[in-house]
Amino acid sequence: MSSSATRLCFLILKERYGEVVASVACCLAKKNYCPLRMLSQDSGLKLDQVKKALCTLIQHNLVTFQQNKKGFIEYVIHAEKVLQQTRFPRYIYCAKTLYGDPAELIIEELLQHGQMTLEKVVQRTIDRLTEAMEGKQNVSSTLVKEKFVNLVQTHFVQRCTSPDGNVENKEVASMPVLSVSPEELYVVPKMELDGFESRKRKRSGEGSEAASKRIKTDESESSESSIFWRVNVSRFHQYLRDQAIVQAVASKIDKNAAEVVRAMLRLSEVKTDEGALVASAMTVTEVFQNLPREFGISKQTIEQYMKLLSEDSSEFVSKVSDSGGGMYVINFKKLITVLCRAHIESAVQERFGSKCFRIFRLLLMKKNLEQKQIEEYAMIPSKEAKELLYRMFEEKFVSLTEVPKTPDHAPSRTFYLFSVNINQVSRMLLERCYQACGNLIIRREHETKENRRLLDKQQRVDAITASMEQSGADPSQKEEIEQMITPPEKAQLTKIKHMTNKIEHSELQLDDTIFILQTYLQYAHMK
Amino acid sequence: MAESANAPVKQEPVDAVNLESRILELCMEFPKGLTDAIIQNSMPQFDAQQRVTAINRLLSTGQVDLLKSSTGLVYKLKDSAAVSKVKGSDHQERLVYQIIEAAENKGIWIRDIRFKSNLLLTQVNKILKNLESKKLIKAVKSVAASKKKVYMLYNLEPDRTVTGGAWYSDQDFESEFVEVLNQQCFKFLEQKAALARDSKADPMAQKNAAYTSSSDVWKYISELGISKVQLSIADIETILDTLIYDGKVERTVVAAAAGGDADAGQLKLYRAISPLIQPTGLMKTPCGVCPVIKDCYEGGAVSPSTCIYMKEWLDY
Repeated sequence: MSSSATRLCFLILKERYGEVVASVACCLAKKNYCPLRMLSQDSGLKLDQVKKALCTLIQHNLVTFQQNKKGFIEYVIHAEKVLQQTRFPRYIYCAKTLYGDPAELIIEELLQHGQMTLEKVVQRTIDRLTEAMEGKQNVSSTLVKEKFVNLVQTHFVQRCTSPDGNVENKEVASMPVLSVSPEELYVVPKMELDGFESRKRKRSGEGSEAASKRIKTDESESSESSIFWRVNVSRFHQYLRDQAIVQAVASKIDKNAAEVVRAMLRLSEVKTDEGALVASAMTVTEVFQNLPREFGISKQTIEQYMKLLSEDSSEFVSKVSDSGGGMYVINFKKLITVLCRAHIESAVQERFGSKCFRIFRLLLMKKNLEQKQIEEYAMIPSKEAKELLYRMFEEKFVSLTEVPKTPDHAPSRTFYLFSVNINQVSRMLLERCYQACGNLIIRREHETKENRRLLDKQQRVDAITASMEQSGADPSQKEEIEQMITPPEKAQLTKIKHMTNKIEHSELQLDDTIFILQTYLQYAHMK
Repeated sequence: MAESANAPVKQEPVDAVNLESRILELCMEFPKGLTDAIIQNSMPQFDAQQRVTAINRLLSTGQVDLLKSSTGLVYKLKDSAAVSKVKGSDHQERLVYQIIEAAENKGIWIRDIRFKSNLLLTQVNKILKNLESKKLIKAVKSVAASKKKVYMLYNLEPDRTVTGGAWYSDQDFESEFVEVLNQQCFKFLEQKAALARDSKADPMAQKNAAYTSSSDVWKYISELGISKVQLSIADIETILDTLIYDGKVERTVVAAAAGGDADAGQLKLYRAISPLIQPTGLMKTPCGVCPVIKDCYEGGAVSPSTCIYMKEWLDY
């Protein structure tokens, strides 16, 4: 893992779980596999602290453990999952747009707690929903549960691994074996739903501690309620990827084409395996049937759009055969490569200007070019072209190959070919993104620290006014308290708020780039 | 001919003139070179001595050239125009003139003249100056290397490779001119695309309506009258290519209708396209465009918490 990624991991964990957890995680990240004692030694923390930190990390699915050959228990941190923590708001937003407010809260709760039982999730969601509606409306648990089941069925939420109950010799095994069968991964047991209901009824009915305890010790019920759930991030990534593709189509062609692609992607969700690089083939008729009626696009128009999409230079869809009126596929790998290229090009455009952008795209199109050819094709005067090209070369956006005519590598008898290596550039940009993201977090912390006193004051005033409101105090008294914050202080507060918002907003935008680059690199490995 | 053969010896001067003109005629018949044997065969009545004097006279007056070939010595007719131009000049001057003439409108570099003529640099310089003052040749600066001068005949139009074509004036690349053309071409294509979008036709027709052939663009640019020089369709195509590299335009090639204005039965069509994405997220943060990001770390001279770019951005 690179230093900028480690730094970002540390910053993210520090912000969310505190310094101790962050330093334990960083020690772990440097070691790859590490047993508990060594970890405590390296980090200079007490064994107890390290244990607690590891518990937190395991709870949030960031650390797993395994037994090595010599019988040690080793811990592994999944740094990519730590980095994904900045993407949480986007997951929550996805759930909201797909399944509405209850789903949003379900995902939020699950993300905040890492792993949770169904019962707890539903309970907390109901509490928060009621709170949001200020008790005006009663939220039914069936609705929330329905949403939860929806999320599980669409694979957005999955079961956590749990200790295997069949392991008999618990004395021998020094470590619980965590596993979950693939069939059960996305299945909500019927008992879980009903059991929860009956338990709740009993508890509310009797209201005694003993009763609930009795139920918990009950054989079947206790085993069911030990099922924990977590968010399946790769499913969310799949959704985000599809969103990015739809957006690109909308921008390049038009809204209707985007709808056609959206329908195709929705179809492929059902038909294609998770992690497949190419969606399974589908016919025009299938797409037509899947398209919502309200768009009013006729089948002929869809056929035209299909042709348009497949003839586009980005090749959004490709035709694989003529059977069934034309079978079409969406090649995710190709599309993500195109998108990644677009993001890199945009970075060049913004950083170096449009002339460099021209040279960069020229190199991408023509692969290897000599200096002179670049000048001619791009129609940029030689002196300027040299300057621009060398600037990009200096910042490693462009690479150089030497092709000597003679074995002595004499410069006068050597061809110097410039080219662009997309893979390398995207790695470099990803590093830059991690660094930028870290910088933004540091800046945000810095701004809050600078204005700590003021923010604390506001918090106190808010707390006092809130309590006064509850006790029904005189409005004039309330005003008096509120006036404790002077107008310049108020101005400063709005400014801070504006700044933090701006930083948080760009963190999310930054994640957009990070996501595309990560997905591209992931797919590039999959071949 | 028969008369001259029968003529008595006293008419020798007339014969000598006759012989010279006959040789010139023969030279015209054999443009590849005239050997002594041919002259002897066609005019057996003259003896060797007479032939030698005649040829010597022709050579000294510069009407024929004596050249060495694989078959021996041959005589060739000298270019009369060249002769008239370099009249009154010496051998060396004539030689240099011929070398320059052979280079045609590509021109020739002074060093190459020296190698070909085997003359000294000072001599060549002097001769070139002479020829230049007589307006027989001219020096043209090449765009390939600004210091390199090439020489060619005065009346010739320099080749594209020397002048750089329409994009150069006095060895300077007219980047502004190219920029203006680039913008105008794009404007034209974009208008066309906008018209196609507003036409409310079906998507395929919209796409096809947005396509414009390079000759149409050329006509539009010519009518605008931005350019003082006459541009060719190929020139416009190079401009359109830069738009492709800019990611603003797409090109497709279709088979042209018979008798179309495109060459090789192909028609190049261009259309304006919209970008795939908005500017990427990284570039919306100050760090994306930061010139000193390499030196940026906590506690360093440049650090995120003291960053002035960040401050400006946040205050904005």
